[in-house]
Amino acid sequence: MIDSPPVAAGGFRTALRRLRRNPAAIVSAIVLVTIVFACFPGAPLWVSHACNHGPSDQNIQGTITENGHKVPVVRNDGTPIGPGLRACYLLGADSNGRDLFVRILYGGRISLEVGFISAIVCVTVALVLGILSAYAGGMTDSAISRLLDLIWSFPVYLLAVALATAFAVHGIAVGPIHVASTSLAIPIVVIAIVYVPYVARPIRGQVLSLRRMEFIEAAVASGAGPVKIMLAELLPNVASMALVFLTLIVATNILTEAALSFLGVGVPLLTPSWGNIIEQGYQTIVTAPWLTIAPGLAIMITVVSLNVLGDALRDALDPHARLRIRN
Amino acid sequence: MRRILITVAVLLLAVSAGCGSGSSSSAGSAGAPVDGGTLRGAIPDNPDHLDSGISFAVEGWELLEATNNGLLTFKKAGGGQQSVIEPDIATAMPVVTDHGRTYTFQVRKNVMFSPPVNRAVRPSDFQYAIERLFHVGSPGVGFYTNIAGANAYAAHQASHISGIVADDKTGTIAFHLVKPDGAFLDDMAIPFAFAVPAGMPYKDISTDPQWRVATGPYMVKTYTPKQQIVLVRNPNFHQWTAASPKGHVNEVDITIGTTPEQAVNETIDGQLDWYMEAVPPDRFTALRAQYPKQTFLFPRNNVTYFSMNTRKPPFDKLGVRQAVNYAIDRNALVKIFGGQGIPSETVLPPGFGSSYQEHHLYPHDLAKAKQLIQQAGATGASVQIWTTNADPAPKAAQYLASVLSQIGLNVTGVKAVDDSVYWDTLLTQSGDPQIAFNHFDQDFPEGEDFIDTTLNGEHIVNVGNNDVSNTNDPTLNAMIDRTKLMPLGAARNAQWAKIDAYFMQHDAGWAPFLHLEQATFVSPRLHGLIFTGSYFELIPEMWLSKQ
Amino acid sequence: MVRLLLGRLAGLVAVLVAISVMVFVIFNVIPGGDPALRLAGRHPTQQNIRQIRHDWGFDQPLYTQYFDMMNHLFIERDLISYQDQTPVLPAIRRGIPRTLSLAIGAALIWMIFGITIGVLSGLYQGRWLDRVLTVVALAGVSIPIFWLGAVLLYLLTYKYHSWPVFSWIPPGGYVPFTQDPAGWATHLFLPWITLAVVSIGFYARVVRNSLLDTRHQDYVRTAKAKGLSPSRVLVRHTLRTCLIPVVTLFGLDFGAVVGGTVILIEPIFGLEGVGQYAQESVAHLDLPPLMALTLYGAFFVVFFNMLADLTYLWLDPRSRTT
Repeated sequence: MIDSPPVAAGGFRTALRRLRRNPAAIVSAIVLVTIVFACFPGAPLWVSHACNHGPSDQNIQGTITENGHKVPVVRNDGTPIGPGLRACYLLGADSNGRDLFVRILYGGRISLEVGFISAIVCVTVALVLGILSAYAGGMTDSAISRLLDLIWSFPVYLLAVALATAFAVHGIAVGPIHVASTSLAIPIVVIAIVYVPYVARPIRGQVLSLRRMEFIEAAVASGAGPVKIMLAELLPNVASMALVFLTLIVATNILTEAALSFLGVGVPLLTPSWGNIIEQGYQTIVTAPWLTIAPGLAIMITVVSLNVLGDALRDALDPHARLRIRN
Repeated sequence: MRRILITVAVLLLAVSAGCGSGSSSSAGSAGAPVDGGTLRGAIPDNPDHLDSGISFAVEGWELLEATNNGLLTFKKAGGGQQSVIEPDIATAMPVVTDHGRTYTFQVRKNVMFSPPVNRAVRPSDFQYAIERLFHVGSPGVGFYTNIAGANAYAAHQASHISGIVADDKTGTIAFHLVKPDGAFLDDMAIPFAFAVPAGMPYKDISTDPQWRVATGPYMVKTYTPKQQIVLVRNPNFHQWTAASPKGHVNEVDITIGTTPEQAVNETIDGQLDWYMEAVPPDRFTALRAQYPKQTFLFPRNNVTYFSMNTRKPPFDKLGVRQAVNYAIDRNALVKIFGGQGIPSETVLPPGFGSSYQEHHLYPHDLAKAKQLIQQAGATGASVQIWTTNADPAPKAAQYLASVLSQIGLNVTGVKAVDDSVYWDTLLTQSGDPQIAFNHFDQDFPEGEDFIDTTLNGEHIVNVGNNDVSNTNDPTLNAMIDRTKLMPLGAARNAQWAKIDAYFMQHDAGWAPFLHLEQATFVSPRLHGLIFTGSYFELIPEMWLSKQ
Repeated sequence: MVRLLLGRLAGLVAVLVAISVMVFVIFNVIPGGDPALRLAGRHPTQQNIRQIRHDWGFDQPLYTQYFDMMNHLFIERDLISYQDQTPVLPAIRRGIPRTLSLAIGAALIWMIFGITIGVLSGLYQGRWLDRVLTVVALAGVSIPIFWLGAVLLYLLTYKYHSWPVFSWIPPGGYVPFTQDPAGWATHLFLPWITLAVVSIGFYARVVRNSLLDTRHQDYVRTAKAKGLSPSRVLVRHTLRTCLIPVVTLFGLDFGAVVGGTVILIEPIFGLEGVGQYAQESVAHLDLPPLMALTLYGAFFVVFFNMLADLTYLWLDPRSRTT
């Protein structure tokens, strides 16, 4: 699926120049920076300055004053207050009387963290497996390739749900390392695993074609060891590809986090994430549609920006590459 | 009874089934019932079973009530009347002898099984029904192990249960119990004790038309899992007394696989009369305003509570358990349940007549709760909360999390487990968490069912442990044991009420917060809705107005 | 070619075997998933539980249980679920037409729109239409599919249901084609749109890039030089070639949709297809249907992968030598 020529290390500068000429890329970069800023330094600032409700502060029995009237945050039939131009409950409340806007800010932290960390894990594992597989060849290659085939063939969501459920009851215990079942590490690991083949396979293909090139043969002839060749010669030449993948995988993983949380096996309760805010809000989509719509829009805006940026990055670095990920 | 039927957990409020103290209600005042017509019903997923020996979920029982009969039955009425027991296939209430240990019934001669069996019901059919439970892995065997010889039979040491003596010639059947039990009458009225033709295979006959036979006004004509259930009139049925229901509609077509949302829309569009599941709380508010004559909130025989494991710190301390009771605001929790519940701090629900007496031991008081936690030396203790993933339980658990944090406990997480796995995990000692969302729904409408099952420390086991809080108070156990021996009635009810208050004051292993109500929405032409805790809406009482 | 085909088929079987073992192992190490307890109900006696363990073979060694399950699945074909003890295979057979109706309809929509948008984008490369279409296409890919379904369902069948333009849209459910073709289509309309929207963008991108590559190829230049009209060149030469990667991708995608994505979308619309069955079984930790469904899903993924590879070989003779 991939047939791109290697990009020389100097290509990054050319790429940057191309990126700067692409208005869509610039807009999406600005949007992303804004979102990251709003979620990370912005969230506590909002809580300390605009409205003193943390993401988990519940106020079911509380009231707020609007137009001189006392309005309950949650009505007796369970319907929470809707969006309105006010400091507290800007986007309304959820069924537990929590401030949706604050939760979306804090939820964004988790969604971005899960998306980003799992993408790093995924791409790193894929790089190791892809380079090792292609460079070592033989048994190693077949073993790794079969493993990738296996993960690839397992329907993504079934695999993710199966793994997440398996880990969710008592956590993961591998030797001395024990991960609690409510740990964020579980969705991160699960999401990372399922997309490894999508990245590792093209990298393997790339390395296979690189291996036949003169500069590798020259390195071998000059007596460089395999580790050195992999790190010094091969890695830089697949770096641009990995970078493009990283952007796209972050986008995919944010969507996957949402999907897993929606299926009830993603980010644990109490920790808001965009996915589990939707999951909880969806139960009351008729009486409180904003609880579903707002976090979904947050996901969409973030993922669109990442995709546009990834797309532009790919065009800039490597106009012929055809990289894709299905979510 | 736990609602076993779970559809898409993310889509529904699938909080257990159970009960209703049964308020009776007829939809609209459309005059006298009219016979005829086809009732269009729907259900989100297959009922658990259509086999009276195996079914243990409301949907199965709701259908079995229309098709099959036992020696006794609960009165076909709502309200407090629903817990009254009346003869059904028995000609009269049993003669009780041997200091409450022998129950002798006379069986009616003219009750017929539907085709293809086509013969009269015999006393030995009742014996066969109960013996069959022990061969089909029935969830109901626990109700009948007090019959003399049942344990020997279960261990394959006897060819029959020696304590059941059926005589087909004289038409009598006698049950000899190991020890007296007032609630034995209830055990005889629930579907596990319904008559089945002797020789019925030791396997689930839900989809086997050869053996899926009826004695009541309706029979299951076809059952295609994931598609449809059709009930038609049983040609062999005739009313055995004027009081026995004969059924009004000619046919009941139940479509399987309709989601609650679809059901609401189809009912509005006039394509559906009756849905076997609750309306999503989300839709109910608007429906109630728009269709006041077609919406109902029926009280169920349910208690919804947080159970605290008295074997695990910090809940091994009474002060901590009382603190939780002070800390939760029951009205806030009712809001989380969409307003569909009666706030309460009792174990027994209002539908249990005089055994329900609301106590006011724990007014909402955070300061008091915090103080109790400090006195118990539990400040900063780590707590993990468990909950089923069926909405709105996770929201209630998150509310509890915030409250426990406020009173000085350290909440490390809320673990939501899929509803189908959650309950089994709770009932296993090894999986029993510190504090958990819990609810109990009736098997039969009597105090013993709630209190003896869930609070009698003598029943604590490692697997299948209904005493989730591991409450084991010798005084309480003795009170329960004494009350169980009493005959049904007001004196016994007063005793249950006393036990309820004693438990909440001296053990407080639970923090009960509400008794659930069932939100129902039906078509304008459906009438005769009678809701009972045992069977929900009674199908034979339903009728359709001509339009 | 035959050897290649046989090799791929053997690979398919090997992958399916490995997956079945993996699923079996995962679900046997989950604590709390003990099916005997679930089958025993609420008032179980210890004897009861033992009996069920014995009857269902849970007291046998794991490998025996595994072979037993495979035997019931493939040879006896009478596998039964733990959750409600209903047969698994009829439930899957019932779900397949629903899932395929969903997937094929959506695929038609996304192919038609994807190719149209891609060609337009490619023809107007670098201009505003291209940029707008690119962003629109990428926006589609970026929507959480279950969210889109839920929001569309809410808006069109509840909130704005009274508007005549939307009042014909049913709130989910499925009607078989043989029973009522119009009802079939109206019930599937929203699911089709939802599923298609997330794929249109991707196909548009692939077609666009492929078109750009092909336009500069020698034979296209030759065709132009021969004086063929631009539209003729586009249709006869460029499009044909640039659709090759689309066809192979379609193979991969279709497998992935039928084998996976439907899990997220069927429950929203209550389609009761294979995806919803899978979603329910996995939530119930119900191993027998899950085993059958995972193998079914994996089969689609692997089979369509294989088909895509073979189509690619067949369409593009150049690749045969490499």
